[in-house]
Amino acid sequence: MSNLDKFRAMAAGLDLSQAIAEADRCLLCHDAPCSEGCPADTKPAEFIRKLRFKNITGAIRTIKENNIMGGACGVLCPTARLCEQKCSAMFKSQNRPEGADRPIQIGKIQRFLIEHSWERGIRIFEKPELRSEKIAVVGSGPGGLSCAAELAKDGYHVTVFEARPEPGGVLRYGVVSYRFDMNFLKHEIADVEALGVKFQCNAPITGNNGAEKLLEDGFDAVFLAPGLWDAATIKPKGKDIEGLFSSVDYLSALRDGRFDEMEKKIKGKTVAVIGGGSVAMDCIESAVKLDAKDVYLIYRRSYSQMPAEPDERIEAQEAGIHFLLLNQPVDYVTGKKDRLKGLKLVRTRLGEPDESGRRRPVEISGSEWIMDVDVVIEAIGNKAPDESPGWYPNVKVDEKKRIKADPETGKTSVAGIFAGGDIVRGPALVVQAVQDGKAAARAIKEYLNK
Amino acid sequence: MANNVDLSVDFCGIKFKNPFLLSSSPVSNSAEMVARSFDAGWGGVVFKTLNSDRLPIIHPSPRMHCVHYGSKKEMAVQNVEMISDRPLKHNLMEFLYLKKNYPDHPIIASIMGFFTDEWVYLAKAAEDNGADLLELNFSCPHMCIEGAGHKVGQAFQLLEGFTAAVKETVSIPVMAKMTPNITDMNEPAMYAKKGGADAISAINTVRGISSVGLDDFVPTPNVFGKGAISGTSGPAVRPIGLNFIASMAENDELNLPLSGIGGIETWIDTLEYILLGASTIQVTTGIMHYGYRIVEDMIEGLSDFMAERGVGRISDLIGKALPNLHETEAFDLERQGITQYDLDKCIGCGQCYIVCRDAAGQAIEWDAERRRPNLIEDKCLSCMLCKFVCPVPDLISYKEMPRDWKRQETAVMDKRLEKDVKLEPFTKEGPDECVI
Repeated sequence: MSNLDKFRAMAAGLDLSQAIAEADRCLLCHDAPCSEGCPADTKPAEFIRKLRFKNITGAIRTIKENNIMGGACGVLCPTARLCEQKCSAMFKSQNRPEGADRPIQIGKIQRFLIEHSWERGIRIFEKPELRSEKIAVVGSGPGGLSCAAELAKDGYHVTVFEARPEPGGVLRYGVVSYRFDMNFLKHEIADVEALGVKFQCNAPITGNNGAEKLLEDGFDAVFLAPGLWDAATIKPKGKDIEGLFSSVDYLSALRDGRFDEMEKKIKGKTVAVIGGGSVAMDCIESAVKLDAKDVYLIYRRSYSQMPAEPDERIEAQEAGIHFLLLNQPVDYVTGKKDRLKGLKLVRTRLGEPDESGRRRPVEISGSEWIMDVDVVIEAIGNKAPDESPGWYPNVKVDEKKRIKADPETGKTSVAGIFAGGDIVRGPALVVQAVQDGKAAARAIKEYLNK
Repeated sequence: MANNVDLSVDFCGIKFKNPFLLSSSPVSNSAEMVARSFDAGWGGVVFKTLNSDRLPIIHPSPRMHCVHYGSKKEMAVQNVEMISDRPLKHNLMEFLYLKKNYPDHPIIASIMGFFTDEWVYLAKAAEDNGADLLELNFSCPHMCIEGAGHKVGQAFQLLEGFTAAVKETVSIPVMAKMTPNITDMNEPAMYAKKGGADAISAINTVRGISSVGLDDFVPTPNVFGKGAISGTSGPAVRPIGLNFIASMAENDELNLPLSGIGGIETWIDTLEYILLGASTIQVTTGIMHYGYRIVEDMIEGLSDFMAERGVGRISDLIGKALPNLHETEAFDLERQGITQYDLDKCIGCGQCYIVCRDAAGQAIEWDAERRRPNLIEDKCLSCMLCKFVCPVPDLISYKEMPRDWKRQETAVMDKRLEKDVKLEPFTKEGPDECVI
């Protein structure tokens, strides 16, 4: 199998009989803690019950009506700490606090139902009566798609503006294909398009007052969900280093046609990934799949403080990654032509907890050392571009240049402009962006019907 | 719901908004319960069988048991439930409440008496207090008195007489509920029709024993050291219910609307009853297991099916499977087939090999090295047992063979024993029917 093949498609999900068998394990709880655990209100208790009683079209309807990105969420959600967290099928009780069984694999059932709807050609939504209002959605990631779909379902004219060549945002340019493949994304976007949503790609809404001008250009409301695409870095400003990538750039390259180019840069090399979150895990695992010689994960705290999900951490270890913990990167060492040669690290120990509740890394003086590396990928967080507040000068932003929006409605400080997703929350889950899109769509309808 | 199909049915001239009814049982014991079921979506109710207050009704304790099958709960439920133990007046007050608050939901009053006057008394009381239809309970499975419960369902003259007496008393339609503890339901159904019944409902519970305690040898439910043969219900009895409904639906002489009962949990179960001739269906055990909420999936599932098939009304589906229902002698035995295996999907469990070896044609060889079955085609009986046990969907399928294809005869173990067989060929002519 070529490396490209390894990246082309995700592993097959459940089939019908396996999904039914899994739904059969469901205890059909009266109060459905799973449904309470879904940030986007996808109602897992309802769609599992429907599957259980052979009402399969109904099960698909429940997902799609509540979460147009139900497929993506089924695949990408960290279900262990969302819907599956309080699943009664674990048989946890006072007598047996450790539980005695596994939770229902809700994410897998959800993914199956969505794939099944494509296979069976099930259409859930009727063509709505068209309304006159036009809405601009900036960004075609999960938040934008969710908002666009919710509005289109009610007959609003929705145009989604995407800065990049293809729609999908982080679902296209920010995840690896073996986790979420292009075919899956194509279907999910087709579901949104079928509702009548129009996409304009290569259409960044930037420049002075670009976003606010949409209201003057004939749009009745605007939803801003451009995401966070600038990478945080420890590299000094203005310095270019050959062999240093941001996670944004690295992961995008694997999806946007630069796969071979990136494969060459990784294959046979010693690669260090800086960070401890889910994105860092995607970077290290994919580097292994691209035949890097050695892959290190550099993290300034320890294993249990990593924000990555437990299963991701274990998968990464199994993949052969060297976890280099309690080391703080401080600088890069370059050779000829700014070619990366080494990563300067300082050892840390854990001090008192910081505001996140995790113990803070404290540098151990005199412990600096240099690790020889060929490639470093920084996965230490994304941020809003420095100039982004200028695109919407009247919209209030915080000190991190994230948009200030009401968490319940997505309302910003400018009437008619709503916002959601990472540009408001900071790095967050797909399912949270979906919820923001839904909430904003509701608020936009209310705003337009006043 | 995204579609607008019409689930309403006309049953004995009464309109139900959908064909899903609670059957007469603990699930229809009070107006508080029935009101909640209507809120959940049920189209009507057969209220728990009224009693005339003549004899006290006291329920045994415990009153139910069940049969699990592996991890599947309640494949069957066993009950020694009695008719309503509430005063008749209270039950009638419940009717009035439901009629007032749910005027679009018909109430079917189930009644059971021991003698004509009692039947007539209950029928009139039910009609006078708002019942839209009567169901005569000729089928309670654990009555001991001759002429009551299932014992009247087996005593056809009584059944006809009680029906006729009720019909003379009331002007609302009357439905007779049949016991399955009988060979041919058409016989009592015809007596009910002669008595004037407007519809038949079937089946009541099947007499059975769910289990026997291994410590005390007491059949369950164990009522303080005593067990009894009593009513079995649930998914396990569905094939029995479908049989009786289909055989009555095929009976042109009977030609009465049918209300199907027995093991219904899903819209598919419902649809099967409808396709075999029922125009309403009734549920108890499914609700005992999952609650009233299952009706949501019955409504949505059946609506989606109808929308997908372009079927506008339930009445377009009633009895639509009957033209395909035949006696086995109608089968075309010239056409034969075998199983075929898509071994790329095989996971190597070998269950197919075991069942074929021990219960079928020994048509599978087991490749122990590869852990794969190897089908010997001309030994395959096409019983499909292997497909039933196969855990992988669509791995094993049926394939028709050409007309000139021949199946191998089952091999004789030791051909040398032929000379020792004591047998003369059978040469007598006879009719193609059974005679003594």
